[in-house]
Amino acid sequence: MDYLIFSFSLMLVYIGLAQLLHIQFGLLGIPNFGVVGFWGIGLYGTGVLFVEFSVPLLPSIILASGMSALLAYVLSVLVLQRSGQAILAATLALAAIVSTLVITEKQLTNGVQGLGTIGFPFGKLDNRNAIFLGILAIVVGSLFWGGARLRDSRLGRSMIAIRDNEELAASLGKDTSATKRMTFAFTCGLMGLLGGLSAPLHQFLVPYLLAPSLTFAVWIALVLGGKAHNFGAMVGVFATFGLFDILVETYAPVPTEYALLVPNFKLFCYGVLLVLIIMFRPTGILGEEGPRVRAKPAPPTLRSAPLEED
Amino acid sequence: MLLHAENLSKSYHAHEVVNIPSVSFGAQGLEGLIGPNGAGKSTLMGLLTRRISPTNGEINLDVGDQVHNLNRLKSHEVARIGLIKTNQRIQGFDSLTIKDSLRFAATSPKDEGFTSIFAGERDSEDVEERVQRYVEAFPFADRNGFARSGGEKKLVDILRCLIAEPRLLLMDEPTAGLPEDITRIVMDMVREKVAAGEMRVVIVEHDLPLIWEYCDYVHFLSEGSILFEGAPEEVKSNRIVAEKYMGV
Repeated sequence: MDYLIFSFSLMLVYIGLAQLLHIQFGLLGIPNFGVVGFWGIGLYGTGVLFVEFSVPLLPSIILASGMSALLAYVLSVLVLQRSGQAILAATLALAAIVSTLVITEKQLTNGVQGLGTIGFPFGKLDNRNAIFLGILAIVVGSLFWGGARLRDSRLGRSMIAIRDNEELAASLGKDTSATKRMTFAFTCGLMGLLGGLSAPLHQFLVPYLLAPSLTFAVWIALVLGGKAHNFGAMVGVFATFGLFDILVETYAPVPTEYALLVPNFKLFCYGVLLVLIIMFRPTGILGEEGPRVRAKPAPPTLRSAPLEED
Repeated sequence: MLLHAENLSKSYHAHEVVNIPSVSFGAQGLEGLIGPNGAGKSTLMGLLTRRISPTNGEINLDVGDQVHNLNRLKSHEVARIGLIKTNQRIQGFDSLTIKDSLRFAATSPKDEGFTSIFAGERDSEDVEERVQRYVEAFPFADRNGFARSGGEKKLVDILRCLIAEPRLLLMDEPTAGLPEDITRIVMDMVREKVAAGEMRVVIVEHDLPLIWEYCDYVHFLSEGSILFEGAPEEVKSNRIVAEKYMGV
């Protein structure tokens, strides 16, 4: 049971990260390949503050998320107006730097030996891991609520316009680079928040957690599910992490001599799925959705205006 | 609003494409910029909208109480002051419907901040009404859908600029790609707005009958410099213009 709660908590973190990537890449067109870096700053920032400086858990998480947002803002000033390839390389490099610093700055992070322990909050309760799962569900749920609001809002529309044709949007008076900077910093800060919330989940932090595979898993999930759909992140993570890491690894009757093959088989399946999606449904399983606008009758003067007759 | 260039020049590898000692746009209501192919019209347009950086010279935007140096401003700042340009080549937002594209252009940037996520209605009555008026004035194949043909996309591009309510509008070959009857509706609309004092317009065009019909003032550009300026009648009957352009 505990293992299942852990798996579900991890899955929620993945869904949250994919949802934030949906806003960054799906709506605004910023190819952030450093997801694990921003998440990692939140994770290790929380760990270092909590363990080395005895800061309580909640302030640690908030401070670490702030660090993530701040770093994202600095990075956005430097690279966000460059080409997509430049952003991709810079974010990927940032994640690599974070993971290297975690290994080398031993006095803070304890290097490869690991940093711990970070316990769940509400120490006295028996089922505190289940309560923590609930907290994660609320955080991730509000990301989806925010995503739906964004989709139907003026800000969301301007993000899509910027993604489609930034130069044209700027020529209409929109400060496109400010929108990109602020959104990127804010969503990266939220990635840091998910990292901070992951600290009690993992309890013991090791640099291995910051491997780029997390970034790729989130990207694969988002592209599969539908990068521009509000529920693409959720469907994508169900179809990848949920299906393989939870269902297959926990319940499938795999003979022990084949158990080692499962992770490789998983990667193989991700690859096949990805190729199929890109060939037959490039917008992902759910495709792209437009804003939901409540039907509203046109003002009477306009409704009575004669329509063009061809 | 006056767009003024002083000692403006642009050279590519010692070949001078534009060399204008002094020129002003926006003093009259509706102005035309004409000239033969290769005269430097597109380059001048690019310089005025800062898409091309000049080799020499300054471009200033005089808004009455203040003079802005265009060279120092960013693209969105120029547009916010009130200088907007329609595009010669088709540009658009592929994921926005015709109406959403117009709503986007009609919405003030300060209404698109983070707090707009919590707004009950996405667009104000005023924006909806303006969008409706523009969309209903033209025979779009699908008023609630996307612009499909090149002509519709070109039209939406012009309407986006109009609905953004510029003080000075530069129109780069607005008739290219538009059917005759649509061009007329657009130009009548533009003339109406100019007459009402809402904006000034500069049109770059090859379609001379359109220039003669709609413009109050015409600049004639040839070999990179303004050779003649004046009322349409004067320009039409000018010997230099006739020789250089109309091949008479």
